[in-house]
Amino acid sequence: MTKRLTLLCLLAGMLALAPAVWAQGQSGTLEITGVPADVPAGRYDRQAGVFSADVSAIEGALVHVTFEEVKIVGQTMEWRTDDDYLIFTGGATLTKEDFTVTGDTLEYFGKEKKLHAVGSVVVVTDDATVYANELVYDEETDEAVFTGQVKVVFDDGVLEGEKFVMFLEKSELQFFGAFQGTFETD
Amino acid sequence: MNLSTKAKWIAAGTVAVAVLLFITFRYAAQPPPPAVSVPPSVQLQESRLVGRKDGQRQWEILSRSVLQEGDVVTLRELEEMVVFQDEEPYLTIQAPEAEWERKTELLRLFGPVLVEGEEGFRLESDYLEWQGRSSKLLSPGPVQMLWRGMEISADTMTMDTEGEIVFLQGNVEIRDGGLVWKLEEAVYDLDAESMDFYGNVVLEGEAGSD
Repeated sequence: MTKRLTLLCLLAGMLALAPAVWAQGQSGTLEITGVPADVPAGRYDRQAGVFSADVSAIEGALVHVTFEEVKIVGQTMEWRTDDDYLIFTGGATLTKEDFTVTGDTLEYFGKEKKLHAVGSVVVVTDDATVYANELVYDEETDEAVFTGQVKVVFDDGVLEGEKFVMFLEKSELQFFGAFQGTFETD
Repeated sequence: MNLSTKAKWIAAGTVAVAVLLFITFRYAAQPPPPAVSVPPSVQLQESRLVGRKDGQRQWEILSRSVLQEGDVVTLRELEEMVVFQDEEPYLTIQAPEAEWERKTELLRLFGPVLVEGEEGFRLESDYLEWQGRSSKLLSPGPVQMLWRGMEISADTMTMDTEGEIVFLQGNVEIRDGGLVWKLEEAVYDLDAESMDFYGNVVLEGEAGSD
C-alpha cells in the first residue's frame, strides 16, 4: 500500500507543478473549439490583462488550455495575465499523462504557486482515485491538501476521512481527524 | 428731290452697306475656330483639397495632380493626406493615388496605402476606402496593423473612427508580445483596449513570454 501511495504522491506532484510551466515562459496554447463564427467566444481586456471565455451556452463548445503535457478542458475560464492567475469554473478537467483532476472549479495562482480545486474533486491515477470537496496544492511547501469527505479508493481498499495531506518530496501522508480504512487482504 | 427719288437713294445706300458688310465678313474677318470637343473636366496642379462635413474639416489632401470629371475627383502624386477628428489631425495617409466621389463622400485610396496615427498606430493595405458619411475606414482586402505594441493582421477590416472600434474578419492574427491570437473574427475597442473574439480561437504562447 505504501508503494501505491508513493506513486499517487508523485503523480499528484507532477500534476500540481504542471501549471507553473506557463508562468515560466514555455510554449502553451489556449484553444476554443465548436463556436460558430458569428458567436462571441471570449474577450481580451488588454488594459486589465484579462482574457475570459464562456462557451457554456454553446453545445459542444470547449476551452482547451495546454502546456507541455498538461491539458485543462472546460467551458468557462478566466486568465489574468499580469499575475498569472487561471480559473476554470462550471466544471473542468486537468489531464496529464495517466491521471486526471476534475473539479467544479480549478484555479492556478501563478504568483503564489498554488493549485486549487473545489467542488466534487476527483483525482484519478492508475493506482487510485481520490475524492474530496477541495484540493489545495502549494508548490512552496510541497503540500497537497485534500479536505471534505475525502475518500481514497485503491484496487484493494478504501480510506475515508475529512482531511488528508500529502507531502510530496517526503512521500509522507498525514490523515487528520477521524479516518477509517478498509482493505482486502490476501 | 421727290419722295420716290429719296427712296431710291435709301435703297441704293442699304444695298451698298449690305455689300460692304458681306465683303468685310466674307473676306476680311478671320473665320471662327472649328468646334472642339471639350470634356467636362478640370485639371489642377499642386492643389490642396479639403473635405468637410457639417462645416467640420474631415480630411485634407495635398496633391500634385487633381482631375475632376463630373462628381469624381482623381488625385495623383499625393503628397500629404490627413484625416481629422474634431478638427484635429487624427490619421495621416500615404497613397500614390486616390479617387473622391463627391456625392457619395467616398474616398478611395489605391495602394500601397500606409495610414499612421497617434501612439504608434500604423495600418497597411493595398486598397482603402474612407466612407465620409459613416466615418468608416474600410479595407476589403488583407490588412496589417500596429497598435500599442500589437501586430494585427486580417483578411478584411472596418474601422469606425467615431466609435474607435475596429472590426477584423478572416484569418485574424493578433501578436501581443509572446502571445499570438488566431481567430475568425474580432471586434477591437481601441479606447477601452478590449477585444471580443468570435468563433473558434487559438492562443499560442511562445517561449520566453511571461
